[in-house]
Amino acid sequence: MISFDFDYYQPCSIAEAVSLYHQLLAAGKLPIYYAGGTEIISMARMNQLFTKAVIDIKTIPECNVLHVEGSKLVIGSAVTLTQIEESNLFPLLSEVSKRTADRTSRNKMTIGGNISGKLMYRETVLPFLLADSQLVIAGNNGFKTVSIHEAFNERLHLQSGEILVQLITEQSYSTLPFKTVKKTKQSAIDYPLLTLAALKKDGQIRAAFSGVCRFPFRLTEIEKEISQNQMVVDERIDRALKLFPAPILDDIQGSKEYREFVLRNTLVEIIEWLEGVS
Amino acid sequence: MDESMIVGKNHLRVDAWEKVTGNAKFTNDYTAPGLLFARLVTSPFAHAKIKSIDTSLALKLPGTKAVLTGQHFPFLTGSLLKDRPVLAVEKVRYHGEPVAVVVAKSDHEAKLAAEAIQVEYEPLPVVNTVLDALAEGAPLIHENLGMYKVVKPAAPEPNTNIAHRQKIRKGNMEKGWANSEVVVEASFSYPKSDHAAMETRCIRAQISAGGNVTIYSASQSPFVIKKLISRYFNVDAGKITVHTPFVGGSFGGKAAVCLEFIAYMASKAVNGKEVKLVISREQDMLSAPCHIGLEAKVKLGCTKDGLIQAAELSYWFDGGAYADQGLAIARAGAVDCTGPYHIENVWCDSLCVYTNRPYATSFRGFGHSELMFAIERAIDMMAKKLNIDPLVLRQKNAIRAGNTTPTQVVLTRSNIGSLIKCLSRLKEIINWDEGARIEIDENKVRAKGIGCLWKAPTSAPNATSGAVLSFNNDGSVNLSIGAVELGQGTKTVLAQIVAERLKMDMSKVHVTMEVDTRTNPEHWKTVASTATFMVGNAALEAVKDVIAQLRQVGSVALRCSPEQLEVGYEKVYLKHNPNIFIEIKDMAAGFMFPNGNAVGGQLIGRGNFIMQHLSHLDPTTGRGVPGPTWTVGAQAIEIELDKRDFTYKILRAASVIDAGKVINYKTAESVTMGGMCMGLSIASQEGFQFDSNGLVQNPNFRSYKLMRLTDIPEYIVEFVETPQIDGPYGARGLGEHGVIGIPGALANSLSIAVGGELNRLPLTPENIWKQVRGDSK
Repeated sequence: MISFDFDYYQPCSIAEAVSLYHQLLAAGKLPIYYAGGTEIISMARMNQLFTKAVIDIKTIPECNVLHVEGSKLVIGSAVTLTQIEESNLFPLLSEVSKRTADRTSRNKMTIGGNISGKLMYRETVLPFLLADSQLVIAGNNGFKTVSIHEAFNERLHLQSGEILVQLITEQSYSTLPFKTVKKTKQSAIDYPLLTLAALKKDGQIRAAFSGVCRFPFRLTEIEKEISQNQMVVDERIDRALKLFPAPILDDIQGSKEYREFVLRNTLVEIIEWLEGVS
Repeated sequence: MDESMIVGKNHLRVDAWEKVTGNAKFTNDYTAPGLLFARLVTSPFAHAKIKSIDTSLALKLPGTKAVLTGQHFPFLTGSLLKDRPVLAVEKVRYHGEPVAVVVAKSDHEAKLAAEAIQVEYEPLPVVNTVLDALAEGAPLIHENLGMYKVVKPAAPEPNTNIAHRQKIRKGNMEKGWANSEVVVEASFSYPKSDHAAMETRCIRAQISAGGNVTIYSASQSPFVIKKLISRYFNVDAGKITVHTPFVGGSFGGKAAVCLEFIAYMASKAVNGKEVKLVISREQDMLSAPCHIGLEAKVKLGCTKDGLIQAAELSYWFDGGAYADQGLAIARAGAVDCTGPYHIENVWCDSLCVYTNRPYATSFRGFGHSELMFAIERAIDMMAKKLNIDPLVLRQKNAIRAGNTTPTQVVLTRSNIGSLIKCLSRLKEIINWDEGARIEIDENKVRAKGIGCLWKAPTSAPNATSGAVLSFNNDGSVNLSIGAVELGQGTKTVLAQIVAERLKMDMSKVHVTMEVDTRTNPEHWKTVASTATFMVGNAALEAVKDVIAQLRQVGSVALRCSPEQLEVGYEKVYLKHNPNIFIEIKDMAAGFMFPNGNAVGGQLIGRGNFIMQHLSHLDPTTGRGVPGPTWTVGAQAIEIELDKRDFTYKILRAASVIDAGKVINYKTAESVTMGGMCMGLSIASQEGFQFDSNGLVQNPNFRSYKLMRLTDIPEYIVEFVETPQIDGPYGARGLGEHGVIGIPGALANSLSIAVGGELNRLPLTPENIWKQVRGDSK
């Protein structure tokens, strides 16, 4: 049970949502945008999050798009992980999504919520990082489209009142060879010990990581090292590991040493698999 | 209808329809106008002085009705040793310990008020493990241990962190070691964990204007609640009624009486209005008592041909902050310390140790899955050293009639059953002869491991049960009993026992579902796999009583002697001419002759049972009779391991248990399977994780993981039937046993797979990796 009281709003348009946000902010209501609610409800229940107003964006049409427009795949931020899996328009995303939480949760969890959430894993951002996706963000000044690499650095950076509306991905990425591996402490349904997503484009391996450091990331420097196929795999991994952007996590999911052991194994598995496909 | 028309058959559970349709009512399903709600305030520290508790903000909130703290409960509780305040006084001893309770108009307002209570703490040095607790100069968790009142045999050691030490001294150790050609010695670790029942604990309490106390509790011990409320709060026992509706799983965790005291006081603080104490999942895991942990040292000595000569066993049970049943678990662990093996020379010290961790109470198996993990690993290590097949080593040493237990009870065929038969059958069903370890490919290996089990119910020596039978005007019978239905199927099995003896259809036997301590006869507690044995025997007594009455009245009605009459098929009839009979429905409320004369009156059968020939254990040698019988069995696990990263899949789990007599195969199979699943879950992934300050890092199901349906293996459950002569139809207790050998069997299978010794649970891939690398922790 959530012990504090809060107001609930359900705007029908982006403009209405943004305007509501600013009004509520001015009124000291500490508003937050609300979609699936899995994180907000569970954190509010434990008093790890506080608000006096939630703005539910689930009924806004632009946030519910899930289709291909020309050469682009457009996914609305309020689309649930289950819908994404079932449409299977982006197989790599479906695979990553399927290993996030359990089915009951995924029926509620949205792609926008998972990417902009407070939990550090944000696993479903990995395929978008690999595919150089574009983000449609709405704010006071209307809509803007930016590269994911610009807006997402460790976490999604939005200005106060901005909404992540859509994620746009070149359809060609949906047909590239890919591999994703999620390792957990033991139970299949758990936070990642690590989640790796990788694909091969133009002979180069792209790889993105969650659960390894305290944020998800993709680094081209790491990709360069692991793609040097004239070198033995172990050596490439040694060089790549030196480039990780933050210390390897050491927590209840697993120790730093064990994560590194699993990370090495997983990288070998991914590199060998991707280099085996044409 | 022949004998055994009902016993031994898979009768549909009598609670099935209510449960599968979602109509069964549990304690938290009831509400009432004016019901008030209570919530706990709990400690964020594992060990700290309480400097102040400021309740003023909470009291100012509009919905708040009352706030209580430790000062409102100026006494200590404990079923064996009085060491625990109802709400913390002066200091907190574990993370999650209740320090205050608020009562408010709604659950929501109660939660708000609980959050408004400000407690100032001063952290104290934390005793985080049993090894820390036993170290010289360790901080004392209970400074006044020497002054605590001992309720039942307990041996606390003042000025230490030892709540109890149970000694076993059997035979002659010097001789044992002299005869030992091979010795194995190792340490084992089994973490503290949660019961994780689907239904969190819940209690409602009210006190009427006339002083009648009514408590509803999701409990395994409604009769103990009545006794303790009477004792601690000085209320006449007759004025207290405890109701227990269906219980949504308990696994020992709801045998402890603790939150009931808070609920009673909360009601008292609001003039007796009905108060419901709601426990969140997190509080159910942290604040309520948990599953005990164990650190063990085992030293076994053996001849070259595999006969065990000596065992030196140190069991340090991690009782946590308060002794509760931890003390009795240490005793039970000593009683069965060797596992089901015949060993002449035994030295065991089994300790219940205080730590600054959530306190432990009974958990399915009562210390046995813990000690059997250590023993079964040691047996496999011995087999390896001797180069003897581990199954053969177990067969050679299996305990049997004529042997003595660690407490020197001489065993009979009736009270020990046949472990040999269980092992032989297990060997066949798991195809042991194909080999314990099979390489599948470069990366994968399959392996099988065995774990034996045994357990005696260690009840109070005078534990008792009753049963009352009454009849309806259609001739059907009502069975009134005090055993709680907590998912184990006890109501069904007991109805079958009555139906069988009355030769009556199951549809004509109606069992009371809710337990009401005012109307149902007492059953000690629904624990220790005893309901079939104790209540079953009481029910048979009640049937015997009713049959005698039916014959007596029937002899008047049918103008014959009672001895000429038989009872069955809802009739009383002449043995030599069944065509001469009276239907029971015509005698249920007395028999009336055609002329209006009546005889007999209502048929009411009574039966009772009390444990016999049990005795307290000798404090220096442990000699004594702890329980009436043992249930033995053998279990096996087959896994497939990936040698690269130590991930594994559990393929098959098998159990063969000597059930004495299977009353209902389906309920016996499901209770065993449930136990096996629990054992696998504990051994493969459960366990509280503590930081260096003794704080639990995983007090919720996001981070505390249990086996999921997708993880479960193929289960094979079979039974051997060596009758327990004093059990109903020869049946033995089965409720807990499925869990007991599983952690050992899983660890043995994985140890065989990795070619190492995996002696620390839980066996997550990381823990296997660490143990294979030789890390100490």
